[in-house]
Amino acid sequence: MKEKFLKFQPWLTLLSRLILGAALLIAGGLKVGNPQKSAMSVRAYEILPIDLANFLGYVLPWLEVAVGSLLIVGALVKICAVIGGVTMFIFIIAISQAWVRGLSIDCGCFGGGGAIDPSQTKYLSEIIRDTLFLLLAIFLYRFPKGRFSLDK
Amino acid sequence: MAANSSPDKGTRNLVIGMVVFIVLIGVIFSFISNKSSTTAAFPASVSESDGYGIVLNPEATPKVDIYIDYQCPICKNFEIINGGYIAELVTAKKIKMVVHPMTFIGVESILAANAAACAADEGKFLDMNLALFQNQPATEGSGVWTGDFMKRLGNSIGIKSEKYEKCVTDGDYVNWTKNVAQASANTDVNGTPTVFINGKEIHRKKTNSDPKDEYMDPVQFRAALAAAGVK
Repeated sequence: MKEKFLKFQPWLTLLSRLILGAALLIAGGLKVGNPQKSAMSVRAYEILPIDLANFLGYVLPWLEVAVGSLLIVGALVKICAVIGGVTMFIFIIAISQAWVRGLSIDCGCFGGGGAIDPSQTKYLSEIIRDTLFLLLAIFLYRFPKGRFSLDK
Repeated sequence: MAANSSPDKGTRNLVIGMVVFIVLIGVIFSFISNKSSTTAAFPASVSESDGYGIVLNPEATPKVDIYIDYQCPICKNFEIINGGYIAELVTAKKIKMVVHPMTFIGVESILAANAAACAADEGKFLDMNLALFQNQPATEGSGVWTGDFMKRLGNSIGIKSEKYEKCVTDGDYVNWTKNVAQASANTDVNGTPTVFINGKEIHRKKTNSDPKDEYMDPVQFRAALAAAGVK
């Protein structure tokens, strides 16, 4: 069993890198062109002071692009896994608190975002999705070495 | 796995360096290109102290701030439901109306906001505001709204001036839209439409079973204005 895992682990690491990397790259890529909207999505969570929320709205999409690209090529995998995992964890907390407080927002994860009609919220599916990404990030932190990676 | 050779390490560091460099440039570009500008031209009816909004009846009370994006479908619904009453109040000088045209949906929102500001210079803001919502394309960023479209729309509501056409063509007030966006962001406007009466946001329906909806129920909207002293 353990031997089998060791044999497949580099491929599992590659797969995790590609899935998490592509998700982050796409999520960031869809937002970098419209920082006004991205900042609005961060504000809509109503957690952070306005200035900080706006700042994060400008920076976060680019951070996602960076981490996503590095994961795909397999550079700094362990560090990227930590950054990716921590951001996913924060997203899960942020979405949960919006749900509990009864805010009607779009998570803004892949573009979109801001206040929306109560009937259009999809908190549960957003949380499940981000939890899966978080698990991938944890796996990558534990097993950063994989196939086709720039890291050695 | 390949052996740890130095050319590989060089490639890796080069890739990391490039990604970090491109992303830093990107972040800086995002900040600079969306910064509000103290030199941006704006219509005479715009008031800097009112968040760069277009102001009608500056002396009247209460003050009603309306944040919209001309491409936002819910804003169109809001206009259909309450726009007529608002226009009535503005014409009767019973409210100070401040419209903040936000532009987060895309470039066509900027075109529309610019055209609305150009129309404000012609004293036709209310008509243009209505015309834009009435002619809102079914999907966002469809490419239907162009400079020529805005000129025709202006003509259709009776603006016959070369100044207006030039204002639309040259995008005189495009930079002003960034000021509006920045001011709206600093006022913590998280969606459109957002309406403040005397600085206090009216009630947005929280859940499907929430009976209170001062945005989309015209009776409740009127009641909210009445509570602020509108007769």
